[in-house]
Amino acid sequence: MNGFLLWACLVGPALLAEALLARYEVLAYGAGWRVPATVLPEGVPYARGASADSPPGAFLVYLDGIGKRRVRDSRDGGQLVEALIAGAPELRVLGQVQPYSPLADPLADRPVWAWLRRHIGVVLFLHNVVQTFVAADHRYRPLYNRAVGSQIATQLRLAGYLPDSGTPVVLLSYSGGAQVATGAVDELHTQLRCPLLLITLGGFHNGANDLTHAEHLHQLTSANDRIEQIGAWIFPQRWRLLRGSKWNQAVRAGKITVHRLEPATHFGPQSYISPTAQLPDGRSHLARTADTVIAVIRVHHGSALAQGDPRT
Amino acid sequence: MSPIVVVLLLFAGLSEAAGRILPLVARRPGMSRTLVAGFLLPAGLVEGAVFALWPLTAWTMTESVLSSPSPGTGLVWTPGMVAPLVLAAVLAFPLLGPLLHFLLFVGVGAGLVGPLATASGLGWWSAAGCVAVAGAGLGLAVETVRRLVVRISATRVQEAAA
Repeated sequence: MNGFLLWACLVGPALLAEALLARYEVLAYGAGWRVPATVLPEGVPYARGASADSPPGAFLVYLDGIGKRRVRDSRDGGQLVEALIAGAPELRVLGQVQPYSPLADPLADRPVWAWLRRHIGVVLFLHNVVQTFVAADHRYRPLYNRAVGSQIATQLRLAGYLPDSGTPVVLLSYSGGAQVATGAVDELHTQLRCPLLLITLGGFHNGANDLTHAEHLHQLTSANDRIEQIGAWIFPQRWRLLRGSKWNQAVRAGKITVHRLEPATHFGPQSYISPTAQLPDGRSHLARTADTVIAVIRVHHGSALAQGDPRT
Repeated sequence: MSPIVVVLLLFAGLSEAAGRILPLVARRPGMSRTLVAGFLLPAGLVEGAVFALWPLTAWTMTESVLSSPSPGTGLVWTPGMVAPLVLAAVLAFPLLGPLLHFLLFVGVGAGLVGPLATASGLGWWSAAGCVAVAGAGLGLAVETVRRLVVRISATRVQEAAA
């Protein structure tokens, strides 16, 4: 079978079927056929880092890239979260949110998907990519945003967050997690009325979500990040030409700050979260990214531990 | 019309109905699976009937623009021409769905033009115009019906809630 036939007869229909099936989850949520999960598997804490005994400096919710398939795992084996917890003990960090599941149902724990993960692992990545597009589609976006926003609010409450407490919430998102993070703003404002700071790392999003209720969005990016650039090209709301788009409104309101992390790439051995790629100052890419995130949070919230401006 | 064409038209109608109804279902909490299936079947039949009318309407338009009687006896679906419409649910595909749906219909419409031009003796571009106007007219008519159904059902939901 040549390449064209393989695409036409197998891969093409499989992609189409997956893309059509992917929005079943948001459909089941919207129609009320299934209730989102809230309880975490045994032994998984609702948050790590700062103790729940006293209010932390901020709650940080990490929304992973498309590699997120289970409650526990993350694309980098949890190294970024570990580095953040080590570098900022005042943060209470949540890493269990499922950005690509409106029903908060980890993909790898579902029977068929568990089999697929063992045999055709790439299908799980494809599913999460399509979920990002579902989240960006105008027909499903309000519902998707509400679903994941509710999921984040629920997990924050379970981790000890008190609505109206004024404790800052930081949404740190990687890649496609940015689409979900920007979409969760309104729901988090409605449910928790929390000061909300967004940090996107190689953020892939369509720029259609309203950022009015976010205090600020820090965009960590690099000229070598092709995935983030593709997002800025393919979504018209990200173009400067569409001045009325929510993204451009936020830009004009001075809500977006760009931090350059050259020469980091989106993924691979030179990625933002690579523990091996070294910078001239001796730090790894992972360490610089963690330092930048911590500095941004501390500067933004005027913590007593502030270490000055973020490295740009 | 052969049985295979009827079956394909039915599947195409169901596919089109699924592509249109499922995004709506996602925004209407409380709709049961049974109710959705109940909507799909009649909607699929209507959509299938509209598809069935497309060549007939294009042929009628062609006859109305011809100055002399056409040599052919009409235009009908063949299995090969109608089969791509079974993929009409691509409309629900996230983000690219409407564009893919449009391209699908342009492709199927283009498939109708050649046989219409041959059967009627009309030029290719004139035949293409007849196919396009017939398709757009039918599309407009069915869209009006869809909007009316949505409006009426929304009013009923509001009345039930009041």
